[in-house]
Amino acid sequence: MKFATNDGSKPRRAQASEAVILFCIANQTFAIAADAVQEIRSTDSLGGAAIEIEEADVPKVRHLVERARRTYYVVSGCSHFGLRLTRPTLVLILRQIRAAVLVDSIERMADVSKIHPLPRAFEGEERKWYRGLTYLEDRVIPLIHPGGFLTVEEFARLDRAATLSSTAHEMAGAEQA
Amino acid sequence: MSAVPHTEKQSYVLLHVGNRRFALRSELVEELAPPVRLHHFPNTTSLTAGVIVRRGRIVPVYDVAPMLCGRESSVHRFYLVARRKFGNESEASAIPVNGECELATAELLPVSDGDPCYFEGSLDLGGEKIEVLNLEALVSSRGVPNNVSDPLELRQ
Repeated sequence: MKFATNDGSKPRRAQASEAVILFCIANQTFAIAADAVQEIRSTDSLGGAAIEIEEADVPKVRHLVERARRTYYVVSGCSHFGLRLTRPTLVLILRQIRAAVLVDSIERMADVSKIHPLPRAFEGEERKWYRGLTYLEDRVIPLIHPGGFLTVEEFARLDRAATLSSTAHEMAGAEQA
Repeated sequence: MSAVPHTEKQSYVLLHVGNRRFALRSELVEELAPPVRLHHFPNTTSLTAGVIVRRGRIVPVYDVAPMLCGRESSVHRFYLVARRKFGNESEASAIPVNGECELATAELLPVSDGDPCYFEGSLDLGGEKIEVLNLEALVSSRGVPNNVSDPLELRQ
């Protein structure tokens, strides 16, 4: 057993770094790979394009947006991570995944050179949420796994709900005409 | 981990959690870390309070005070870093302690009936009974109250 007093740092070899976007939800900072994000929009600018999903049984998703002929489901970051509800101002539209994430703010971009695996002590949903952890300027920041926002099953349920909503809108439009 | 009593004396680290003293086999203990910053991030795993950074590693912190003392401990000042086994591998794990740790050599006495599953025995040090923690069982019990009807069931 050692009784340590300080945490010595050793010089490290240069490693390939990864560009990440640091963003905040309910005062919690997260990182996501910059190349996993296609677009960042304000909720105000996207508001008119958002379509409410009726009877969706995925509580963290209430809206969808159409971008470049693709449907993106808008995930509440607060609900996803179990954080207190806030008023999001931005939407991160993901690149590979048909999901967009409501966030409070963008902190900045950064380069991370080391991604630590999530300790095995963490055994819950967070194993799907995070690719790992990064240590940046005296802060440990979880690095988001973009595929962790919605499961395949949740996508299927949302697709069904979106189809029903679309049909209902078309019928309502036809009745008005 | 076995609850079978050892007849030989072994080395233990005595630690304070809340206002109680416990023991941990010294071979599991890596270091007593100073009160470094505890980092929080959203998770759904019970007992995990966050992580600390030690010697370039990210070490999970288990808040075991509610399990052991029935309430949060407001007096912890240090972290006892020990190894927790995961199959054939192990991971550094930290427990908040109040800083007063010492080494002791003693014989492990068997667990008593009704003891929680996360005690692997006890030590008799000058008439004081000090429970020896089974770290793996403690952090795996995930909030199971310490008055489980059949602690042996959880030991298996």
